[in-house]
Amino acid sequence: MEKESFFKRYGLLILTGIVVGGAAVLLTKFGNPANMGFCIACFLRDIAGALNFQRAGFDAEVGTGIVQYIRPEIIGLVLGATLLAVIRKEFRPKGGSSPMVRFVIAVFVMIGALVFLGCPLRMVIRIGGGDLNAVVGLVGFVIGILIGIVFLKRGFSLKRAYRQSMAEGLAFPALMAALLVLVAVAPSFIIFSKSGPGSQHAPLLLALIVAAVVGVLAQRSRLCMVGGIRDAVLFKDFRLISAFLAIIVTVMVGNLLVGNGLTFSFLEQPVAHNEALWNLLGMVLVGWGSVLLGGCPLRQLILAGEGNTDSAVTVTGFIVGAAVAHNFGLASSATDIGTGPVALAVIGGFVVLAVISVANMAKMEG
Amino acid sequence: MNFVATFHTHLSAMLTCGSLQKAGVTAKLAPVPRVLSSSCGTCVFYGGAEPHLETMDRDVEAVYRREETGDYTCLFRGEE
Repeated sequence: MEKESFFKRYGLLILTGIVVGGAAVLLTKFGNPANMGFCIACFLRDIAGALNFQRAGFDAEVGTGIVQYIRPEIIGLVLGATLLAVIRKEFRPKGGSSPMVRFVIAVFVMIGALVFLGCPLRMVIRIGGGDLNAVVGLVGFVIGILIGIVFLKRGFSLKRAYRQSMAEGLAFPALMAALLVLVAVAPSFIIFSKSGPGSQHAPLLLALIVAAVVGVLAQRSRLCMVGGIRDAVLFKDFRLISAFLAIIVTVMVGNLLVGNGLTFSFLEQPVAHNEALWNLLGMVLVGWGSVLLGGCPLRQLILAGEGNTDSAVTVTGFIVGAAVAHNFGLASSATDIGTGPVALAVIGGFVVLAVISVANMAKMEG
Repeated sequence: MNFVATFHTHLSAMLTCGSLQKAGVTAKLAPVPRVLSSSCGTCVFYGGAEPHLETMDRDVEAVYRREETGDYTCLFRGEE
């Protein structure tokens, strides 16, 4: 086989990483919370809040919680991926690969992410913003991925997906389009936070367009935070991880350029706590669960946009997980871990993932 | 290695890679080339004079021959 040039091998992924990092910096500059320009877990949690599935930090004076908003970034990511997939004839509805098991894994991945306070993408953005707690999270994330890889090598599989109808594949993008109408019209039954991170957001159109561009690039490049480390370990393939590194560098440079701030420390980082054990364990749960799911939360959104209904079920699991995490006091705050049974949920999550990992292992010869 | 087989699951790719190696064929696991699929699954690159279709696991998605131009020619497509 002829050798690929560096540009052909890494060009699109590095470009995608730069655009994602740039988008995070830009959206922060225009109103999103600091070090949260882009976070799939936080934004799905905010959507759960807007639909009143949770109202964390409810303030009776203003009448809303602090993390309730329909984030156009999620909608843009999905619809951007859908658009490109349709244009390139890659929109292929399929599903049926253990959807209920995926739902359960997704719930625990979201609980882990909200104990840490961010999905793998926000973890990378936090590292780029100088938050050393996210480096602890990264260690946990890698440990979780390595655990998942052990099971993959021993025959773990959620079985194959099958072709489904166009209506089935379009249901999730249609749901996103409906959310877009709701955020644009803002009817009274949809709740938007009047204080806290949920009240901080970039203008709708800007967030939507930027996210759609990211969605297009992520669909084309197959950007995945989990896949980067998994492929590096399993195949010594460093393509996906190059985007991971490009995001960190871009966010660092971008924060310095636009004055978002870049301070390397564990303390007083935006929307982050410094409980190292829980930052670590939360991300172990995310890494392990994401390997079992076959991709990080961002990747699940893109796949759902391409018509993968297993990923659509997974995203639904994330939203339910966010509601569970906040309603039962499992989600961390900016100062501490949650006030609910956090240890029970995280350790329970490990038990559930272990049972799922073992129960779905095929018998291997030799 | 002039053939590549794509699969519906990572497990299926792993089993096929093992079967090919047991049959004396040089084979290795790798991420699916982007030009073949938008999914981020695992494929098997393997060598030999013929595509060994009988060695494929039942969850094989497709088998391609890699031409000298770098293009892929589909030799077999499994059930969708």
